[in-house]
Amino acid sequence: MGRPRSPVLPRDLHPGAWWIWALGLAAAASRTTNPWLLVIIVLVASVTVLSRRTDAPWALSFRLYLALGLFVVCLRVVFRVLLGGGYGDTLLLDLPLVPLPDWAAGITLLGPVTAESILAGLYDGMRLAAVIICVGAANSLANPRRMLASLPPALYEVGTAVVIALSLFPQLAESVQRVRRARRLRGDPGRGVGALRRVVVPVLEDALERSLALAASMDARGYGRAGELPAGQRRVTGALLVTGLLGLCVGSYAFLDATAPRSLSWPMLVGGVLLAGAGFVAAGRRVHRTRYRPDSWRAADVLTAATGVAVAVLVTVVAAGRPDVAIPDPAAPPALSVLALVAVMLGVLPAFATPAPISLLRPEPAR
Amino acid sequence: MTARDLDLTPGAGRPPGPRRALPVGRRSAVVLALASVAGLVMFVWPLLLVPNPGAGQTNPPFVFLALLPVLVLVVLVELTEGGMDAKALAMLGVLTAVNAALRSLGAGLAGVELVFFLLILAGRVFGPGLGFVLGCTSLFASALLTSGVGPWLPYQMLCSAWIGLGAGLLPDRVAGRPLRGRTEIALLVGYGVLAAYVFGLLMNLSSWPYTLGVAVPGHEGSLAFVPGAPVLENLHRFGIYTLLTSTGGWDTGRAITNSLAIVLLGPAILATLRRAARRASYEKVD
Amino acid sequence: MIEWEQVSFAFDGAERPTLRQVDLEVAESEMVLLAGRTGSGKSTLLRTVNGLVPHFTGGRLGGEVRIDGRSVRRRTPRELADVVGYVGQDPVTTFVTDVVEEELAYGMEQLGLDPQTMRRRVEETLDLLGIADLRSRPLRTLSGGQQQRVAIGAVLTMHPRILVLDEPTSALDPTAAEDVLSTVSRLVEDLGLTVLLAEHRLERVVPFADRLVVIEDGAVRSGDPAELLASSPVAPPVVELGRLAGWRPLPLTVREARRRTGGLRDRLGDAPPAARRGPGAPEPRGAALVARGVVVRYGTTVAVREVSVAVPRGEVVAVMGRNGSGKSSLLWALQGTGRRDGGSVSVAGSDPGALAPDRARALVGLVPQTATDLLYLETVEAECDAADRQSDAGDGTCRSILDRLAPGIDGERHPRDLSEGQRLALVLAIVLAARPAVVALDEPTRGLDYAAKEQLAAILTDLTRRDHGVVVATHDVEFVASVADQVVVMAGGEVVSAGPTVRVLAESPAFAPQLSKVLGDGWLTVEQVRQALL
Repeated sequence: MGRPRSPVLPRDLHPGAWWIWALGLAAAASRTTNPWLLVIIVLVASVTVLSRRTDAPWALSFRLYLALGLFVVCLRVVFRVLLGGGYGDTLLLDLPLVPLPDWAAGITLLGPVTAESILAGLYDGMRLAAVIICVGAANSLANPRRMLASLPPALYEVGTAVVIALSLFPQLAESVQRVRRARRLRGDPGRGVGALRRVVVPVLEDALERSLALAASMDARGYGRAGELPAGQRRVTGALLVTGLLGLCVGSYAFLDATAPRSLSWPMLVGGVLLAGAGFVAAGRRVHRTRYRPDSWRAADVLTAATGVAVAVLVTVVAAGRPDVAIPDPAAPPALSVLALVAVMLGVLPAFATPAPISLLRPEPAR
Repeated sequence: MTARDLDLTPGAGRPPGPRRALPVGRRSAVVLALASVAGLVMFVWPLLLVPNPGAGQTNPPFVFLALLPVLVLVVLVELTEGGMDAKALAMLGVLTAVNAALRSLGAGLAGVELVFFLLILAGRVFGPGLGFVLGCTSLFASALLTSGVGPWLPYQMLCSAWIGLGAGLLPDRVAGRPLRGRTEIALLVGYGVLAAYVFGLLMNLSSWPYTLGVAVPGHEGSLAFVPGAPVLENLHRFGIYTLLTSTGGWDTGRAITNSLAIVLLGPAILATLRRAARRASYEKVD
Repeated sequence: MIEWEQVSFAFDGAERPTLRQVDLEVAESEMVLLAGRTGSGKSTLLRTVNGLVPHFTGGRLGGEVRIDGRSVRRRTPRELADVVGYVGQDPVTTFVTDVVEEELAYGMEQLGLDPQTMRRRVEETLDLLGIADLRSRPLRTLSGGQQQRVAIGAVLTMHPRILVLDEPTSALDPTAAEDVLSTVSRLVEDLGLTVLLAEHRLERVVPFADRLVVIEDGAVRSGDPAELLASSPVAPPVVELGRLAGWRPLPLTVREARRRTGGLRDRLGDAPPAARRGPGAPEPRGAALVARGVVVRYGTTVAVREVSVAVPRGEVVAVMGRNGSGKSSLLWALQGTGRRDGGSVSVAGSDPGALAPDRARALVGLVPQTATDLLYLETVEAECDAADRQSDAGDGTCRSILDRLAPGIDGERHPRDLSEGQRLALVLAIVLAARPAVVALDEPTRGLDYAAKEQLAAILTDLTRRDHGVVVATHDVEFVASVADQVVVMAGGEVVSAGPTVRVLAESPAFAPQLSKVLGDGWLTVEQVRQALL
């Protein structure tokens, strides 16, 4: 007899898994300007969002990101035409050249429009749009509150501040409404400078008074109980953070300067990030808090994150081996390779291989 | 009162001088400085880029989009490493909410960016540490609320964190006398205008090559970024680009909003914030 | 369990100490009720138990506070979090998260408990407080009583041995307050916690308190509730009646009082004297405000449904009803700046709704529920000056009204630093500076203690002598009994009953004041009894 199969119960994936997946797709998109690959990446992101998002407000924002992506692409093409600088041989439109006045020496507007320069702008714009849409996908799939709740312990305070801000936000809107209404009771026609002050000051006073009461309640409920770390450990944390930052400083500079030794570029950046990460862990050790119902990493979450990493790695491999596929020449139709296609299509795996999110389990609406 | 009394009046048993909501120690200052240098490199990269002589098309450094959040997080971890006092945390949360609300008020109107004036005033009252963190959390929370999370977010966060930090570093005393009243407002207005333009310039500089694309070798002559060209030449192009696209509208709008808000609401809000600071006894306010 | 030995405390820069040589002991599982006027040091005393005083507030603490024989004066609130559970006045301001379950778990997360224990305790607490069905609700959407129960639950999950409640009902309406107090009484019985409770609704909690501690000017007296109330500066109406009638021991509940009324009834005779106004009060002279068929609707909900009401000059009309019964909407509609979708309002021949805000307020002045919304300046003086300018009144008008309502407020003080009652007086003075014919007050008694309520009642009576018409929306039965000439009861946006106070309050047992429960219909206030006995 085999083991009983346990059904896949609906649950929300770890928000971190969605972010790693989406950032992997974004990283892949940033390595290529091949329009086919970019279109596939956007499709992969969209399909996944449509099949795994909930009906929460943040989940409905995905179409804003799609619109923004479209806008970026159009902007790039328009700028290409407007700012001229056309190259290539396939002339589409011969616009008059408009030289700018002396202070902008050497820069001209408009001029001949070539298919190559339009396509180059289009490809480039599509790359940025794809990166934006991938981040938008993460934003739609990952519950921001759960994300804040699963921040590493070292970021606990900042995370709490944001949680407080998010809970307070709707109350502020009510407070503003109440004060605006009350303002008229003092015979205020509601115009001018005084009017603004009469709204802002009471709302702010209210909010600040509230902050003191909140602090007392947090203090009385044990916030900040975590003991101090011994001085030695704190020094270790400091040393890790500082050296990590030094690595990032040197690395980012060397990354930009192609004439600097290559050993200062990527190795420094990676080393810096690793040291800083170690610093996070060390700083988090002072925190002895626990989490109520923490999000756990299970097979589906690991699979999702791994998919994102795999897409990024494979596209990087493609970019190194087949530059003509990764960065196609606008003069010729963009080429494709099997590996490149497999790499980007792999990203759609989480759309089918993960459990459905909880809030999708509502009864089907009657037809 | 006897010697056995537990005296917790602000200042008792503590060295004299202002006590800030989020103190910045020497180590934190080093971390802040290093992160700011690295951050600045990531903002002004078009001016620093030296392309590989043999390579054709240069790509914008997308990796910075991933590294900048790391920088911001390192500073946040360092500033809160000693554990944050409950009052400071609650204050931070409340001010973040107010800032996010102000930001959503201005959304949709070109150049009306209300998030900075309260950030500047709060940085002034609560000090550079809280100013920095407030800059980060305000932009982050408002991005969550208005679905503005995108690759640009870390850039905005770091930039407004600098604005809050700078406001906290403005001189508190001139010639031994506390800087208050009209001179203080004038100083803050000046800073607000500066902050508005610097914010615009930095955001534009880091996104310029993304928006216009990078010029292809041999085909310069547009406003696009030319990798490897002399710094001044690129700066010239960028100057024209930013003048045409932003300075006239967004940046100036932002500067005007900042100054108007600081002049009109500044005195009242400074008084309110100082009162709150006094009640929470972060700071001896005269 | 808890011991105070020679405890003194002074806030930083304060002239007088808030607590003076307090000696007090509370035994294990005892339920102690703290009574005292606002500002007497109740909160300060409570906050010394978990170290909020002095570690959070600053100031100088002398003497020794011990829990289980060990000194805690050097221990901070967070270190004591699992020993002392502290619940403050306004639940909304104490929430850190935004969902019930997470709020309950917050304290345990800080203690570093393991997830299984947390899960178990959250379930236990949800059941204990009867809020299991609210577990995943956003805190913002709960009613006041539910919110305060969540706030109590949020400290109970840490399994404290001492529960400190600092006026847990003062920000709530009476229904919510009942809700919370019955929960507290159940906790006392079921869990055997040591409970310290400061509360101004004494009548609800005195019956189950083991001991009463009265604080006056920072000094405490403690003892049996019935004995101590004989000389307490604050006391519920039954106790006041008992004091007047000379009953020993004092009755603490309506039932106890009723059983002793025999002799008193004989002395009082049959007919209660006129409810409110003593002899010599001017007779009402016509209507100051007449409203007919007022309708207020928000979208599809009708908040006020064709309500007609008249406010005579020189009289107080009370509008009573549950939360959400349309009281506030009606008041705002009468004032003219609120929404009105139908009907007419007329004050001295004009409709305030048709006028600009600055003209409307000269007809009807409104003190909103959160009175501080009207304040935006740094000193009392500045607020008064601004009010004079806004209402084109002569210099010093507002200040002189304020001095009449609440004498002796320092003009340099920040309005937000005033006591609840003083702030209300300031806002009322600002409203009155425009010389409105009618004054409307929305829930003015919230957060006021007995004495402050008496003062407010005196102020309203004074207004009627000056020929103003007064409308008060309130839940407070005792307050209505002492000031109102007429009562309008609303439910679901409609008028359920209306008429003279004596009749309306007698008609519905839910709105009967303690005195009429003891002495029968017609008797509303202790003052009436005092008059009758003269």
